[in-house]
Amino acid sequence: MIQEVRVITKQGITDSKGEEVLYDINYALGIQSVEKVRTARVFRFEGISSEDAVYLAQKLLAEDIFQEYQINGPVLEDAAVVLEVAYKPGVMNPEAASLIKSAEDLGVKGLVAADSSWSYGFYGKNITEADLDRIMNSLLVNATVEYVVRESPKTLIIQGTPGRTEVIPIRKMNNTELLDLSRDKLFLNLEEMKVVQEYFRRIGRDATDCEIEIIAQTWSEHCVHKTFKAKLIVDGKEKKPLFKRLKDATEEVAHPLVLSAFVDNSGVIEFFDGMAICGKVETHNSPSAIEPYGGAMTGSGGVFRDIVGTGLGAKVLASTDMFCFAPPGTPQDKIPAGCLHPHYLLRRVVAGVRDYGNRMGIPTNNGSLHFHPDFRAKPTVIVGAYGILPAATSRKSWPKAGDLVVTLGGRTGRDGIHGATFSSGEMTDRTMEVNASAVQIGNPIEEKRMFDAILAARDEGLIRTITDCGAGGFASAVGEMGSKTGARIALDRAPLKYPGLAPWEILLSESQERMVLAVDPAHRERLLEICRDYNVEATVLGEFTDDHHFTATYEGQTVMDLDMEFLHNGLPQRVMKAAWKKPVYAEPVIKETGDWNKLFAEVLSHLNVCSKEPIIRLYDHGVQGTNALPPFAGVAEDGPNNAAIMAPILGKPYGMIISHGLNPVLNVIQPYYGSLWSAAEATANAVASGANPEEMALIDNFIWPFPDEESLGALDLAVDACVDFSRATGMPFISGKDSLSSTYRGRDGKVIKIPPVLCISVFGRMPDVSRSVSADFKESNSQIVLVGHRNTDEMAGSVYYDLLGAVGNNLPKIDPGALMEVFKAVYRAIHGGKLLACHDLSEGGLAAALAEMCFGGGLGASIRITGEQKAEYFLFNETAGCFLAEIPHGANPETIFGDIPWAVIGRTVPEPLITAEQSGETLFTLNLEELKEAWQRPMKEVFRS
Amino acid sequence: MKKPLVCVLRTDGINCDEETFYAFEKAGADCRLVHVNQLRKGSEKLASYQILVLPGGFSYGDDVHSGKILAVELTSFLKEQLEAFVEAGKLVLGICDGFQVLVRTGLLPDRNLGVIKTTLIANDSHFECRWVNLLLERSHCVFTRGLEGSLISMQVAHGEGKFFTNPATLQEIENRGQVVFRYAGTDGRPTVLYPANPNGSLNAIAGICDSTGRIMGMMPHPERYVERTQHPNWRRMPADTVPHGLAIFKNAVDYARQF
Repeated sequence: MIQEVRVITKQGITDSKGEEVLYDINYALGIQSVEKVRTARVFRFEGISSEDAVYLAQKLLAEDIFQEYQINGPVLEDAAVVLEVAYKPGVMNPEAASLIKSAEDLGVKGLVAADSSWSYGFYGKNITEADLDRIMNSLLVNATVEYVVRESPKTLIIQGTPGRTEVIPIRKMNNTELLDLSRDKLFLNLEEMKVVQEYFRRIGRDATDCEIEIIAQTWSEHCVHKTFKAKLIVDGKEKKPLFKRLKDATEEVAHPLVLSAFVDNSGVIEFFDGMAICGKVETHNSPSAIEPYGGAMTGSGGVFRDIVGTGLGAKVLASTDMFCFAPPGTPQDKIPAGCLHPHYLLRRVVAGVRDYGNRMGIPTNNGSLHFHPDFRAKPTVIVGAYGILPAATSRKSWPKAGDLVVTLGGRTGRDGIHGATFSSGEMTDRTMEVNASAVQIGNPIEEKRMFDAILAARDEGLIRTITDCGAGGFASAVGEMGSKTGARIALDRAPLKYPGLAPWEILLSESQERMVLAVDPAHRERLLEICRDYNVEATVLGEFTDDHHFTATYEGQTVMDLDMEFLHNGLPQRVMKAAWKKPVYAEPVIKETGDWNKLFAEVLSHLNVCSKEPIIRLYDHGVQGTNALPPFAGVAEDGPNNAAIMAPILGKPYGMIISHGLNPVLNVIQPYYGSLWSAAEATANAVASGANPEEMALIDNFIWPFPDEESLGALDLAVDACVDFSRATGMPFISGKDSLSSTYRGRDGKVIKIPPVLCISVFGRMPDVSRSVSADFKESNSQIVLVGHRNTDEMAGSVYYDLLGAVGNNLPKIDPGALMEVFKAVYRAIHGGKLLACHDLSEGGLAAALAEMCFGGGLGASIRITGEQKAEYFLFNETAGCFLAEIPHGANPETIFGDIPWAVIGRTVPEPLITAEQSGETLFTLNLEELKEAWQRPMKEVFRS
Repeated sequence: MKKPLVCVLRTDGINCDEETFYAFEKAGADCRLVHVNQLRKGSEKLASYQILVLPGGFSYGDDVHSGKILAVELTSFLKEQLEAFVEAGKLVLGICDGFQVLVRTGLLPDRNLGVIKTTLIANDSHFECRWVNLLLERSHCVFTRGLEGSLISMQVAHGEGKFFTNPATLQEIENRGQVVFRYAGTDGRPTVLYPANPNGSLNAIAGICDSTGRIMGMMPHPERYVERTQHPNWRRMPADTVPHGLAIFKNAVDYARQF
């Protein structure tokens, strides 16, 4: 028997969730028939009496001051329609465990299961079925994980009998059968399937499902990066594999601060006082495309685990997020079948990052948002994390034979199965249905307490080595840790969320919030005790061996026995052809600007320029008390900064700086220069805030269309750009990831490729955070100085061109060597306290940077444009690596910037106006308040603030 | 000088414990991070401490209501210890999630464990992280001695911080001078308007104390402003600006030295 408790907010008291839903219905969906929405919480308890349900309602569920409850009866009866939305059975609802704990704390006996959900009451006389369908399907229900409860469930307990281990007769299969086995599940090609077949023929037996699954997972593009390791034939000539080029460049650069590059879960550099800092940036595009909230959450959760899984365990200090979507106003009929609308994706991805980072207590203080229509094929969702750990524990060690395999944290369920292989496939109209199990809802509290326990265990020296359980689950985590020794695990020991998992599912499950540790048996008891103290479940799954096999048993039967050598090195190197042809884009028709007010407002309200403040406000960017340069500052705290600076050791002046850069549209025009732009923008953001360009490290993330010849050719150029940038500046790449599946293939043969994304992230150290600057103007009558190399004719890919309806061909071509000299000069100037403010130029160009500095400072600006320049190009050119600097009235720019290019372009003024003159005539006078309104409006509308 | 001992309470989902620890140590206290399990097991006793602080975070995920699961746990298992602690005249501070726990245990506003008279509900807007101005009211609150009438700057970061109660209780706590902080505009006047008042709190209330002034709860985070460079606009402020959160911890430490 299930007891149902429904709780509503009393009449007359704000129902914030209801108002939020109403706003979305009215504005995002454009449905006006709904006039009011009220919400109710629904709680279900199995195994208790109705008296106990009343007791729980009074003591736990409903607060009489503002709520009322109903036991086993309806609420919101005056609504036109009431619909309840719940997680599907088997999708973990994190709240259930809290309900059970609290009921126990209150002395309620007999409770065997609990669940919670939401009911929505819709008010309005003219609501149609079609309206409700759209509200449910586009707003409130993600059919992947949720459903509309038409009838109360009979039981909350999930039952099941474990499936058996199947033998797959792979030795006898013909080509068609091999491909059928691979399709939608293994994502291996025929050549790879034949190598697998050959292995089993050689060892003289057929494969178990566990074995086939683990091979597919270990060999997936997501895990092994086949393309990055492939032998490349570019325009007929052989070139080094992409990954090797990046690694070789890092070795050549031999940066003295690097402690660990490309070998651990994140890259590590030296900090101060015997500490080290580390960084990792991940993508979570495929899960986010089909379930953005859960996808973004598990993306954050995964990258945080990469940090805590670095060395012997690091503390997570910061989270970053970079997203690319189609414009939120894209008409529904332009969205390909099987894809979700970008307005929904954007809001739900932001909510996922918010709910994971905020609950973990990790500040999300750096990020960006980019829009291009072709991201309707698949969004790009990039999440980064940074951490700190003692330098002495920053290098990975390997398990010793006899060490225990210990799993910590969340239980294993059917969720997330095939995530690794699924992420390696293209998006199609079938992706949503076939791969529904690949997404799940994260539980940040589980992860937080696990991290607390791990850091306590690390400090007591109990950890031999550690890794996160991400893509591929136990298969990947234990397989990689034991790759040099061997490992044997008993799958039936793994704690399960519910019964019924087949052995291969336990092996492959990507259930979140789990880590795997190698632990000396002598430390077993102490480790388990620490875990108990922190409410963390810890289980010994098996041990590391010295037989170089990966063996798994289930109830005593061997269900997997593979040679580690074959598993990790048996995959044949791919040979891939690449050839990029330069496309030719139309050039815009440049007209004289008549209305400068309008043009400025259009540039500033362009989605790639506008303020992203409403998103930042949803993220707790101040937790841990480490911010020394927050995302927004200035008189009204609405002026954006270039980077995040944190002082991670409270009480010490040492700073960690984080920034990033990307510009997908430039990669469509020319990926080499587009990629140089990303690197220049990423590093310029850090330098503009005061970072020393000689104490920074880089992280690359390539989010690319499926690597056909054309796209692979573009990728080849992008990697060359990274390598050239690294060699010219001395900045090393120390971590990276590629995700090469962002192509949509429709049933009708329609193909949409996303604009290739190279996101470069930067982190570095500074000895004293007080030697840094923000971007807001500080004083009136200061000199405004433009610093850096730019050719203003290079306008292709700019927002200005976009507004003219063109892309163009002549894009900014940055020389990284010359750039480094500019960086050094700007760094010296900031370090020496010569600059009052500094901002780098990016989307929207000098005009956007200037306006943002004015917004922050509450000051206007008066500038001069020299006669020979085209004013629009001067204002809206987007060459990265250029800066606007504020220096005091009377200071000599010559002594500050020396022989790098600089020009005093104007001064700050107390009036809230931006004025420009050219050849002695006033070009325009713009009202700052109006500009700010235009700049802030787009995201305020999307995020209701 | 004698250093008072502070119990910084942790449990699943508490995440402002380390900066709160730092703030109290900087103010001159000795701190211990104590997990609620240690108190339940008896390996730690509240009686050993002079100050109890419930830091911010999402205790148990803020499931059902923010701070609720922890409040139920405290009132179910630690009722006597808490009562004795409060009876002894020692200090209790709840910040953000800690404030939510204090109102849901009943320690605020009346030191009446198990009786909920005031609450903190979902913001009128949504989760909001921003620096706000706080007006310090004249009250007998131990934590804000000497600060009455001043306007200070602090960060809020919460989704359920709207102070709410019935009109009679509201009048009662106003009459008894239990309101410690109010959200204010740049002009220093209390406001109910977003964003200066980030959540729509009744009477712009951001923090209250009990009638003795020894138990205080507040939504803003004083522990995030005990260093000059923690303020978003420190570059615009005089170099000798004293971080606004520090005085609150110092007041607590000074008071607790008497035990």
